[in-house]
Amino acid sequence: MDYALQQLLNALAFGAEYSLVALGLAVVFSIMGLVNFAHGEIIGVSAYSVFLAAALGLTSPFVAVLLAVAAAALAAVAFERVAFRPVRYAPTTTGLLTAFGVSIVVQNLFMLLISPKPQSVSILNGLNQMWFFGPFAVSSLQVMELIVSGLTILALVLFLNRSTLGLAIRAASRDFATVRLMGIRANRVIATAFAISGALAGIAAVFIIARRGSVSPDLGFGLVLKAFVACVIGGFGSLAGAAAGGMLLGFIEVGLLVALPQEYGGFKDALTYVIIVALLVYRPEGLLGQRVELGDKEI
Amino acid sequence: MSQAVENTAPAVAAAVRPSSALTRSLIGGLVTSLPVLAIGLAILNFAPTYYTYLALGAFVNLIVVVGLQVFMGNSNIANLGHSAFVGLGAYGVAILSTPLAMKKLSIPNAPFGFATLQLDPVSSALIALIVVGIIAAVSGKVISRLSGVAATIVSLALLIIVHSVFLNWTDLFKGNQAFFGIPKVVGLPWMLVFSVVVIVLARLFKDSRWGLQLRASAQSPQAAAALGIDAKKLRLMSWVLSALICGLAGVLYAYFAGTISPKLFYFQMIFNTLAMLILGGMATVTGAVTGVIMLSIGLEFIRSIESGVTIGSIQLPQLLGLSGVALGVVIVLCMAFRPSGISGRYELDELLSRFLRRNAK
Repeated sequence: MDYALQQLLNALAFGAEYSLVALGLAVVFSIMGLVNFAHGEIIGVSAYSVFLAAALGLTSPFVAVLLAVAAAALAAVAFERVAFRPVRYAPTTTGLLTAFGVSIVVQNLFMLLISPKPQSVSILNGLNQMWFFGPFAVSSLQVMELIVSGLTILALVLFLNRSTLGLAIRAASRDFATVRLMGIRANRVIATAFAISGALAGIAAVFIIARRGSVSPDLGFGLVLKAFVACVIGGFGSLAGAAAGGMLLGFIEVGLLVALPQEYGGFKDALTYVIIVALLVYRPEGLLGQRVELGDKEI
Repeated sequence: MSQAVENTAPAVAAAVRPSSALTRSLIGGLVTSLPVLAIGLAILNFAPTYYTYLALGAFVNLIVVVGLQVFMGNSNIANLGHSAFVGLGAYGVAILSTPLAMKKLSIPNAPFGFATLQLDPVSSALIALIVVGIIAAVSGKVISRLSGVAATIVSLALLIIVHSVFLNWTDLFKGNQAFFGIPKVVGLPWMLVFSVVVIVLARLFKDSRWGLQLRASAQSPQAAAALGIDAKKLRLMSWVLSALICGLAGVLYAYFAGTISPKLFYFQMIFNTLAMLILGGMATVTGAVTGVIMLSIGLEFIRSIESGVTIGSIQLPQLLGLSGVALGVVIVLCMAFRPSGISGRYELDELLSRFLRRNAK
């Protein structure tokens, strides 16, 4: 019982993290069709700012969390301004490759300017403790991850549904031209979308630092690959799909960890992807995606 | 290089006339491979051994990039998983052709009787390519059904699956350690022959009716579908051809280096070859060739700075990551300012014949 509960919490926590990152990707993709491979490096920038701040004498974990989120949001907006604006109206493949290029540049800059080796960051380690509920011992980090992700997604939904800018973002994902005709600036909508995407990445970064206690140049890259996969299973561009896909991915991974014998544990990633590719054979448009025929205007 | 091109230019002008489209594209492919041939022959005759070794690596990259062009250039879908096929080709021949004495050291517990099997290099290569073809056909079935972005992500997933199998199936692939003792049977001459063959093949595919139909369906899916073009079938076809060319590159790599390890066929190779294709221009085979030549030289230069250089009396420190930054910057700048790459829309022979016609007037 204890074991099952523990694994359930594991799956929920992993899933919550994937959902956060996948949502960040989906927000940007739904508006401007950009497949943002550099999302992992936004997480990286956030983690390295915490590392640098801690090295310069920052001691308050609370400030570190704020810094992580702010740095990620800023980095996302900066990436958009510098690299993605020139390719805004270009075909999807061009944007995708640009983002891939940005990701390579930033990853290697961490290597060049800081170090290719992982650097230890202990400032957020306090978040990772054992909590005892009666007979159950649970990791505080996982509980927080679940709660914070839930609250963040709730806040995102409220923002998108209740605020003018949120409405503009939702409208822009369907028909950007009309949104601009209504007198809303394209740059503002896109910058907001990137800031949201960055903030989500920053929250994920906080949990990553707290769990690993170190930062390394490729820390966001692998996670973002998984988040992409989550987006694809959910249906690319659909926000609900991204969140659901992330959760599903978390459950598949933990399920495999439990089911696989110890000596085959290394095949977890391979099998996860095989399962997902198999899902796509049956639903190429993703679980929550709709089959869009060519030329359909209304989604 | 430029001299070689000049010398052959009149011959091209005379040969560009023939009516058959097949002959024209065959000659076009050969013209495109001339710079490669010239560089290869120059290195073969004049360069010291160290440069020959570097050149062999560059030729492997060339074949990979041409293979990548076959899929990406014609279908206009980004493929980020092609180095999986390079790895499969390389490990295929490593498992089949390594001498038994070496196998006792490296993979004594290989399943399916591979530990006691040793084939000659040619049949090993053929079997490895057949395996690559089968895996490509299966993965291509999935990828050709998906829309652009999802196809790209699945190609990445394929890379991760293959890499993770290399790492974890230690009985067969030796895991993280280097797989050594593969017979070194390929030198620069064979590499040159295969490079030319692959370039011509890519060009023939591009100019064939399938290539044309695929390029049409990439530009306007609706119009192509209205003309009765089966884009899925064509994407599958180009995916398999592209995988086979990449697999061949892997086979050749294993046969010249003699030692392989999984990390050679992971993201680093993707970054390098993708940047080469983008810089040269992915719409044409000429672009693939141009990109490889330019970036191979450029990267070698940057690597020499990266490992720390001494200017006068100042010793610069090691700058790990510099070549990565350069690659990324090349990709980003190309995409922002010249998305069609250096060579743009025209092949080398098309440019030459246009140039000659203009001068003739």
